[in-house]
Amino acid sequence: MTVTRLDQGQRYRPRMAFLKKIETLMMEMQNPDTGIKTQTQTVTVASIPHAVTGNDIVQWILQRLQIAAEEALHLGDLFVKYGYIYPLQEPKNLTLRADGSLYRFQTPYFWPVQSWAADDTDYAIYLAKKNIKRKGILEEYEKEHYNMLNQKINYKWDFVIMQAKEQYKAGKERKKEDRYALDCQERAYWLVNRTPPGMLDVLEYGLDRVTDPNESKIMYYQQAILKTRVKSSVSLGGIVKYSEQFLSNDPILSGCLPSNPWISDDPEFWDLNAKLVEVPTRMRVERWAFNFSELIRDPKGRQNFQIFLKKEFSGENLGFWEACEDLKYGDQSKVKEKAQEIYKLFLAPGARRWINIDGKTMGITVKGLEHPHRYVLDAAQTHIYMLMKKDSYGRYLKSPIYKEMLAKAVVPQEGVKKRQVKLAVIVGTGLFGRRHLRSSPSPIILRQQEEEAKAREAANTVDITQVMSKLDRRNQLQKEAPPK
Amino acid sequence: MVKEECKALLDALNKVTACYRHMVLTIGGTSDSQNLREELKKTRQKAQELAVANRNKLTTVLKDKTVSKEDKAEFERLWVIFSTCLEILEIDMRRALELGHEFPLNVPKKHLIQTGMSGGTSGVAARAMSVQNMKYEAERNIDVVDLKDLENEINQVGEMMYEMEMKVNVPQWTVEAKQDPGAELKSTISVGASSIGMISVEENKSFCDISKVLAGIIFTAVLIIAIVLAVCVVKLS
Repeated sequence: MTVTRLDQGQRYRPRMAFLKKIETLMMEMQNPDTGIKTQTQTVTVASIPHAVTGNDIVQWILQRLQIAAEEALHLGDLFVKYGYIYPLQEPKNLTLRADGSLYRFQTPYFWPVQSWAADDTDYAIYLAKKNIKRKGILEEYEKEHYNMLNQKINYKWDFVIMQAKEQYKAGKERKKEDRYALDCQERAYWLVNRTPPGMLDVLEYGLDRVTDPNESKIMYYQQAILKTRVKSSVSLGGIVKYSEQFLSNDPILSGCLPSNPWISDDPEFWDLNAKLVEVPTRMRVERWAFNFSELIRDPKGRQNFQIFLKKEFSGENLGFWEACEDLKYGDQSKVKEKAQEIYKLFLAPGARRWINIDGKTMGITVKGLEHPHRYVLDAAQTHIYMLMKKDSYGRYLKSPIYKEMLAKAVVPQEGVKKRQVKLAVIVGTGLFGRRHLRSSPSPIILRQQEEEAKAREAANTVDITQVMSKLDRRNQLQKEAPPK
Repeated sequence: MVKEECKALLDALNKVTACYRHMVLTIGGTSDSQNLREELKKTRQKAQELAVANRNKLTTVLKDKTVSKEDKAEFERLWVIFSTCLEILEIDMRRALELGHEFPLNVPKKHLIQTGMSGGTSGVAARAMSVQNMKYEAERNIDVVDLKDLENEINQVGEMMYEMEMKVNVPQWTVEAKQDPGAELKSTISVGASSIGMISVEENKSFCDISKVLAGIIFTAVLIIAIVLAVCVVKLS
């Protein structure tokens, strides 16, 4: 099997994108009106047209690109180094001199290309041709390359020799001047692509890469372009609305009732706003009406909402949501166990508290539960969340349960000032100095209390199947009764 | 017999590939023209025909089990030469396509690169097609029209190479070259005074040859005068 030329990574030669830009400039230079003026070069008895002086090149670049003289010289020098222009009088010295020294444009075949590097077989053919022309006189490094290639591509060597001879003979069919120009072109090409030792290899680009290093960046930017963007007017409007809505709730901007505990040393504010306080403050209850996430965030709100949902026989939704949250934020070690329990309780067909989600989501969830992780129930949780938000939330806000809570809610009195508090303390306790501050209950105890409350809750839940089975039994009894 | 035929076919393909390379070198330069594009088209079509002929011959031989071991090695060598030649041809064709796209000829805004070439490539094309003179019969915008054909032909060549790889199992690296490094020098000498003579005649055609002839003439003239003078002296004395 032949080993065809793999362009492994050649396509992704970095730092080669500028080649196209140089090519456009090259083509502009050829314009008979705005390009560079050419002269003829005389070489022992022959005269070859299209020679350009270094100075002309620099001047043209200066005028076309409007850059500084130093930069223009450097840019022109790069053109020569990359092989787009080659020097005629000092062929081995690939630099641009801003004087009368002559240069010529390289034929497009020999321009450096990003997708191809100069090939070894071609180089071998070139060296063989040079051998024929110069009757064996090659430079030292060329001789080394020749021998190395002979070993490396030995199986192609017959072809190399054959092709070199044929190319040499075919070249004779051309005019002498053209042959001379061709020789110069080829020599310049191989000087650039197989640099002699001591010369800077401009086409050196580091390691070959198998994949495009820019690929991930390209993909990222493509996705970034496709992202939906919100107009700043819309997003700013949203921020303004949010600020207006929550202004009254902000303790720093609108003060808090009864008093800011950090200032007045009075923890009444925290007591009144405890997680599962009996009677919440009015501000808190009003906040639940802002949007669904506020209601869900607040444990008291959830409790209230749960009561409402139970009345509507959709209490399992919130229960499922809470269980998912527990799974997401709970112990990693308990993830599998919890996921299984949730499945048994909420998702399995005929489960005690079966939730109503569509077939597709159920399919995804069941599949995911084969390899459970924290977020395996995300799809179902989102579905239930949206269900509650769009469906139950609206009704909740109009329900008597919410209204009752709103009516019950307490508006704390503005607390007495610090000085007055101190006076009251002195009077009340008869002690001088600071009032005895009791610490709030330990979080561990609080958590235990919560868990107990949850367990009680779970035990008390009415599950749909029991209700339905009760109804069924009643119906059956009724059916059986009449025949009696 | 078969070997000679194969060799002859391969030589022909080699020649055409070399000529094609010469022609592709001039695309985009000042000796580019509609004629060149037509020459390119004809040459590569000829190359394809030769390639197909070569492939058929070599595949039949290589599939033949009755061939002796040395013969088989020889044919494998020829096969390797053939596939390398085809690779080079394909690459040149691809370059020609790229350059053809970049340098359309009839667009006034796009100027050809002033590469210093002024002569045409008709000689090379004639050599490739093995004719005396090239005839040009294509339309004016062959440079654009031809590109589509070129693409198709590149695909064809690619497919042919793939098929070749699949059908014939010749490990390339086991083939040893018959020619040593530096063989091109010896072979040109052995090929005969013809080539070196041709080289020297060609290279020095314009000056040394003429000067040699001139020197010869002057020498003989001087000799004759000397002889005449000597005769006169003898006669007079």
